Amino acid sequence: MSKGPMRTEWMIWFDHEKCTQCHGCEVACRTWRGLDHGVWFRRVGNVWRGGYPQVKSHSVSLGCLHCVAPGCAAVCPEEAISKRESDGRVTVDRELCTGCGACLDACPYGVPQFGPAGIMEKCDLCQDQPGQEFGPPCVATCPGDALSLRAVKIREKAAHQKSMLAWMASAGG
Amino acid sequence: MNYRQAIQTAKAAGEKVVPTVCGMCGPGGPGGGCGIYAFVKDGRFVKVAGMDESPVNRGAVCAKGHAAPQWVYSPDRLTLPLRRIGKKGEGKFEKITWDDAIARIAETLQEQKSRYGSESLAMLTPAKRSYSDYIARFLVAHGSPNYGHSGICAVQRAFCFMYTIGDWPRQYSDSDLIIYWGRQPIYSGPVARPAKAFLAAKQRGAKIIAIKPSVEPDVGMADIWVPVRPGTDAALALAMLHVVVGEDLVDHDFIDRWCSGFHRLKAHVRQFTPAWAETITGVPEKQIAEVARMYATTKRAAIDLGNGVEHTPSSNDAIRAVAILMAVTGHLDRPGTNLLNTPPKHSPKPISLRDRITPEMVDKLVGPEFPKAFQPFIEGTTSAYYRILESVLTEKPYPVRTIIAPGTQALVSNRGSRNVAAALEKLDFFVVADVARTTDIPYADIVLPLATSYEVDHPFQAVPGWIMATNRVIDPVHSPKSIFDFFLDLGVAMGYGGDFWEGSMERAMDDQLEPLGLTMHDLRMKPEGMAFPPEPPIYEKYETVFNRTSPRLGGAPFLPGGKVQLYNTTFEAAGFTPLPEWREPPESITGTPELLDRYPLLLSDYHTSKNYSASWQRNVPRLREIAPHPELHIHPEAADARDIADGDWVKVASPHGWMKVKAQRYPGIRPDTVMILHGWWQGCRELGIADYPILDGGANVNIMYSVDPDKAYDPLVTAMTSQTLVQVTKMQEQEGAQ
Repeated sequence: MSKGPMRTEWMIWFDHEKCTQCHGCEVACRTWRGLDHGVWFRRVGNVWRGGYPQVKSHSVSLGCLHCVAPGCAAVCPEEAISKRESDGRVTVDRELCTGCGACLDACPYGVPQFGPAGIMEKCDLCQDQPGQEFGPPCVATCPGDALSLRAVKIREKAAHQKSMLAWMASAGG
Repeated sequence: MNYRQAIQTAKAAGEKVVPTVCGMCGPGGPGGGCGIYAFVKDGRFVKVAGMDESPVNRGAVCAKGHAAPQWVYSPDRLTLPLRRIGKKGEGKFEKITWDDAIARIAETLQEQKSRYGSESLAMLTPAKRSYSDYIARFLVAHGSPNYGHSGICAVQRAFCFMYTIGDWPRQYSDSDLIIYWGRQPIYSGPVARPAKAFLAAKQRGAKIIAIKPSVEPDVGMADIWVPVRPGTDAALALAMLHVVVGEDLVDHDFIDRWCSGFHRLKAHVRQFTPAWAETITGVPEKQIAEVARMYATTKRAAIDLGNGVEHTPSSNDAIRAVAILMAVTGHLDRPGTNLLNTPPKHSPKPISLRDRITPEMVDKLVGPEFPKAFQPFIEGTTSAYYRILESVLTEKPYPVRTIIAPGTQALVSNRGSRNVAAALEKLDFFVVADVARTTDIPYADIVLPLATSYEVDHPFQAVPGWIMATNRVIDPVHSPKSIFDFFLDLGVAMGYGGDFWEGSMERAMDDQLEPLGLTMHDLRMKPEGMAFPPEPPIYEKYETVFNRTSPRLGGAPFLPGGKVQLYNTTFEAAGFTPLPEWREPPESITGTPELLDRYPLLLSDYHTSKNYSASWQRNVPRLREIAPHPELHIHPEAADARDIADGDWVKVASPHGWMKVKAQRYPGIRPDTVMILHGWWQGCRELGIADYPILDGGANVNIMYSVDPDKAYDPLVTAMTSQTLVQVTKMQEQEGAQ
């Protein structure tokens, strides 16, 4: 893959106009990856904007965005989190992780999960999973194609990160 | 994924893949039966993927579908046939064999049939399921008319539409304007056709109007929200008719040629001004007029009328008024409008034995869902679910002696839970058949554990445009018997073997597939089922459709003279209002203002949710974690006035009962209204959540409503009220502690 601003990175893109909040992605992920109770690699949420009767609700489906400059990796004292040069994927080495939780504090999206073992885990784009060539289960199961696995330019990914943050910031009600 | 990809994926994971039909929202039920690939590792069902080849879901699967393995292996599964040995409601049982259970049921039914007559048996049905016709078949074979239909779902719309415009025109395509009215296009089947059509309309840029009391995700995606008070849709529709007729936005050519009673309609709707409707519905008169004009003046406009209008005493009026709106504006069977149906091709053989229904059977209905003059209707003869239970208490016109409840929970799925509990206690004989623990079980005389559809190799699933064999994914975890086996076995034990294929499932399947020139074996050889491409639409089929005969005995046509009944002479002759009227629910802001001091908020409930099938599946951890607690949607203004924070436990009290639930401050709801999902009782052992009480202090919304025979029902189509007035208060620490 090329370097510099034209370099592309993988991510799961979310288009809120196409999400019906069916939660299919959440449960597909949890079942295919065998996640424990309380562990979520992806969460679907609702964001309110405006007040009655002009109130609008919007949908958000959020997993790890594999950030351009991952705050989690920067703060990890064990250097357990790394970003792969080749595809931009952010992964965690569960052998090195001590479960200190610094990454969770650093992640503006609240992505890192700590199951019963207390070791960080999160979305890895299912790249090492059987059947991954047919797309991650969250993407494959979406009835509205709101989720898509994409290789995007760094600028695009940064913009998507920013827009997801804006959605989260406007949540509440 | 497609079949080839599923095989490849399974191989890479050391798994086996089985193509089948999803069983989570009741196969053939509201979701439509989605095609799935089920993956099995070391004999254990582990996960599913959506089947690209199925025209229903086209590769997608919803949360429920993905959670199926947890449902199949749940500790709440029923494991053995049981016979009650303790008192009713106590929950003491002993194990018996399946055959012994069937023999005891047959013996009781035989004895009661000779003592009290065939009509002493009633069966309760859940929503329409792939086994619904087996219930109807058994009842006809037995001679009982008492097929217990909910009285609050789908058939109410079918009835009112058919007797007004000859058909229930649910389909539409390529509309420029769609009004989703009391409709939840997503939750009823998140990856099935209505949700897909909703998404496609949105992508196409169609204008979407949503009429309902609160903002759900579909409303979030709509262009206009019409925040109507629960139960007031008839007033809204009448005012829309006032605008459309008063401003002459009607299709005179269509009215002159195909409708009867326009002048009487015109005079009648003059009284229903938008200003009048605003006081009742809470929708600003300006918005009512705008929506009416927008619908009437948009050529390609459709109304998708949902289940929300079927829960109130003026339900029939709301539905008829909407049907009339479609007709007078000429929005019927033209491109982009509501389309009249053509009889489906490629249908299996009907098995409900409706040609054996007699006038005597109609006469013996214990609590007719529709007046006897209109029986049978499309599902056969039907008694209203609640009226069957009520007959046990009142013994009027006679007490039902045995109730069989396959896949339905009378205590939480139906109104009047307090009376239902008393009826179940008094009932002579009660049989529950289900896959998992239900709330009614402590009252059952016999409990039959059923296999899920993942554990058996029948039936076939036929939905318009697609047919597929159910394939066995895993060996039965507990009982090997399905609900279909139950009917075949009981049929044989009763001596009705001739009507039940002598107990042979293979013969049962092959007999039904015969019109398609298929056997079950042939169908099973097609792993992705058989899809039939849709026929090109034929428009303006008025001559044919308006002259269709009704299913009543004698087969009189739906529409006298082949004309749309704007003024309904058929209903008038049977003693019902010829024109739609407005009738207040038993308790409401405008109907009972004297109650507002004590009960200032309006309560209603949601019929569907994104993660549960009605009152089922609260025991499935991955579904429960999405929405662990019963939550009351309350507007932040109403919450502030009561010092209620998000997640507080609150007491919700109506004149009929009270619930303890969690508050969710919800900006997208009318400030004068609170709403909650129905069906809460079941705990989830894996998550350490206990069951809730069924009556006061639990979370069962069905205890909250009036069941007053004079006020709670729609007089024509049963439709029981799901509106009342309540007060909401924050619970004290000790009261609220879990």
